[in-house]
Amino acid sequence: MKNSILTIAFLLASMVSIVASNDAYVQAMQKALTNMRSAASVEDLKKSANAFARIAEMNTSEWLPDYYAALTYANMGFRSQGSLAEKDEFYAQAKKHIQKADAISPNNSEIVAVQGFITMGELAADPQSRGQHLSGEAMQLFGKAISLNRQNPRAIVMMAQMEYGMAQFFGQGPEKACGLLNSSLELFAKEEASKVEGSIEPRWGKSMAEEMKQICK
Amino acid sequence: MKFLLTLSFFFFVQAVSGQTAIKGIVKDSKGESIPGVNIYIKGTYDGTTSELDGSYLLETTETGKQVIVFQYMGFKTQEEEVELNGGEIQLSPTLRETINEMSAVTITAGAMEASDEKRAVVLRPLDIVTVPSAMGDIIGAFQTLPGTSNVGNDGRLFVRGGDASETAIFIDGLMVGNAFGTTASNVPTRTRFNPNLFKGSFFSTGGYSAEFGNAMSSALALNSVDIPARTQGDLSLMSVGLGYSQTLVGKNNSLTATANYFDLNPYQHIVKQNFDWERGPFGVDGQVSLRQKIGKNGMAKGFFHTESGGMKIWQKVPGQEGRGQLVDLRNHYSFGQGSFKQTLANDWSMYGGLAFSYNVDEYNVAPFEIKNTNQIVHGKVAAVKGFSDRFSLKTGTEVFQFSYRESLKSEGLEREYSDAQVNVFSEADYYFSNSLIMRAGLRVAHTSLTGQSWVDPRFSLAYKFKHEGQVSIAAGKFSQPVVETLRVVAPESSNTRASHLLLNYFLDKNGRTIRAEAFYKDYVNLLTYQGERFLYRDIEQNGEGFAKGFDLFYRDRKSFKNTDFWVTYSFVDSKRIFANFTQMVQPGFAPRHNASVVVKHFVPKLKSQLGASFAFNDGYAYTNPNLPGEMNAKTPSFQDLSISWSYLPKPNLIIHLACSNVLGRDNIFGYQFSPIPNENGVYESLPIRQTAPRFIFLGIFLTLSKDKTANNLNNL
Repeated sequence: MKNSILTIAFLLASMVSIVASNDAYVQAMQKALTNMRSAASVEDLKKSANAFARIAEMNTSEWLPDYYAALTYANMGFRSQGSLAEKDEFYAQAKKHIQKADAISPNNSEIVAVQGFITMGELAADPQSRGQHLSGEAMQLFGKAISLNRQNPRAIVMMAQMEYGMAQFFGQGPEKACGLLNSSLELFAKEEASKVEGSIEPRWGKSMAEEMKQICK
Repeated sequence: MKFLLTLSFFFFVQAVSGQTAIKGIVKDSKGESIPGVNIYIKGTYDGTTSELDGSYLLETTETGKQVIVFQYMGFKTQEEEVELNGGEIQLSPTLRETINEMSAVTITAGAMEASDEKRAVVLRPLDIVTVPSAMGDIIGAFQTLPGTSNVGNDGRLFVRGGDASETAIFIDGLMVGNAFGTTASNVPTRTRFNPNLFKGSFFSTGGYSAEFGNAMSSALALNSVDIPARTQGDLSLMSVGLGYSQTLVGKNNSLTATANYFDLNPYQHIVKQNFDWERGPFGVDGQVSLRQKIGKNGMAKGFFHTESGGMKIWQKVPGQEGRGQLVDLRNHYSFGQGSFKQTLANDWSMYGGLAFSYNVDEYNVAPFEIKNTNQIVHGKVAAVKGFSDRFSLKTGTEVFQFSYRESLKSEGLEREYSDAQVNVFSEADYYFSNSLIMRAGLRVAHTSLTGQSWVDPRFSLAYKFKHEGQVSIAAGKFSQPVVETLRVVAPESSNTRASHLLLNYFLDKNGRTIRAEAFYKDYVNLLTYQGERFLYRDIEQNGEGFAKGFDLFYRDRKSFKNTDFWVTYSFVDSKRIFANFTQMVQPGFAPRHNASVVVKHFVPKLKSQLGASFAFNDGYAYTNPNLPGEMNAKTPSFQDLSISWSYLPKPNLIIHLACSNVLGRDNIFGYQFSPIPNENGVYESLPIRQTAPRFIFLGIFLTLSKDKTANNLNNL
């Protein structure tokens, strides 16, 4: 009897601690996400990226911290006004984190979409010499992300951007790109409707779609 | 239970009250502050980031012995143990720089790299294919780079006063024998391999790594593509032939099978030729290439190429009337290789493979029937160990089997040799810092044919300045066996050898590349002889020579919108005693002044890339027997303006049109003289000219794929 009480107590205690550590994880993520969303400069983003990296160190079986660290580094690359080498350094860090995320959660549409996003960044950093080989690579990644989850609006809107670039290059109309954009907008709306307060799931990318709307008017 | 709760509550309160502040400034070894450092307490969520001035403040409720981690890209992660007990702790660590592959110095002396992935590249793989004068031949593109000479009646790669045999060609690290198509004398040849097979190349015009042997002047290492992007078919229709390639891509493997047919006959009937063709060059070739991923980082590749072709050409004989001599040439060639690379635990990696080249040439030049067979087998295994981020050591062993046979079938004569060569090489890379690297290597080899052993040391050093420019020096000894056609007559001959010394400056910044290099090279053990091919006599190995000079290269992708151009100038002062010369002379294949300009401009409205390239040299030395001395005359300057137009109407379709020597200049590469003077005591001559005033190429390339994003851009 005494034994079983102890066991129960122990079980309860360990359950409490699991909940507690999980809470700490979610809280840390929420805080880091809030900071990321309000980041105004590359320096601010660097702080967020560091925060995600720290959370990743603590939670080696969660893919989200590395995923967001990668996303933040990619955003630093896009925002950076520095040299090509500096941008490439950010993308290299982004790749390092997304690879870790991919190892934790393989064939994850969100992760593959960010891989494509990073490739898009590398392309944008030096389109003249990278355009030809990286545009195909980026489109392939977005294609894979979409096939893994047809409801992923981020993968779809980025594919729409690539399609638009291609169409422009070959002097074709934006119809295909706009079709993709519209389906991404629907999915973004759906995502927003089902939004849970404090969720740490990927929810970014809508502003990208809003910006692209101009083209498809 | 209640007690437990109280206890934990007690601890909780305890923890909150004891807050410690850790503060300081993070600096590097030069004393400069580092912003953005990730600073945290190991095993907790507590952390912060250093500010722009390197300062930080980390507040924590943790207590007791804890480890503070300082982490920043480009620096070694540092851990500091502290005792947290409330109050304030000062901690200002100095982080040690690690060697950063992305920004560290690289050795650029002699080297010109074409790659999509690496830094310090001179060209992208794509740039190679789109050089207008190249007509889709890899070597044609390299002829626009510094250190090379355009020898229009040969077509092979001539580097810094060296002849074509001094450049060794490797595919995935393994030597390729007879990489150029067999041709009749003074009819230019091309590489046998399609540029689309390769994702990058490393072209060195001197001072290269101990990994490359049997090359006296230059090494060209071509790296084949890994697993292609998707399953697709590629159809090409050209003015000189057609081809189809099918690629199947699986999860961890791929298969590509290609077949091509070319025939210049119809083209040569439409466009006027300088040469008197009985049957224009023709051929069929097939390739199969296999890729298999091994584990996470490993890759195994198999590649097989086979081809068969020929030509019949009338070659005029100086001092004689009529069409001259009919040369009937047939060639059969196979190249196969298997290679692997694998990353192992503890910073070990391994690569290697086995390759064989087999070439048969059959010449019918009445009354002679000649058959030459050349075979090269090359096996290689190398291992690299990274002892730290600063120091790595590469060690490998190579075995070569060279077999050559030539027979005069009509006379029943035959001679041959076979040689096994064993090589061991080892090379260390040491980074003193991100801005200084040293490479020292040694290559030791032994040949069975003569029992000769030799040692080739190699050394290079590179320093990177603050402004990103870098300066490198390289030096070394380079050996190679005598060319097959001479070695079969004089199998006892030892290696020919060269020593190189190079000084290089390289800057690649913001879409512009500047490269300047000065070099000195000397040759020993060159062969001298009397007579000519098949009839060599009095062979001696006391020739020698030198080549010195400098070259300049500027490339700019930035200054003009949608425009990429490069300008090259190479000065070569080369003299040698070799072949049937009795004194130091400037070889016919080493013009002194060499220049080229390549311009490519993309016009979005026309969906087209327009290109032009201009090549120049000041003329080729030759011996005029009507004048005293050797190499006593020089041809007029060589000039060639080529243009190209690539049109991309759809993502999966490219139409490519190119024309060489648009201006129709009658370039002369030398003269052939009659061996005996005519009745007036004059040696009559015939100029060695281009195949035709111009060469026009039209190609249509179509990619067929289920994947709508598939495009042909990579093949542009």
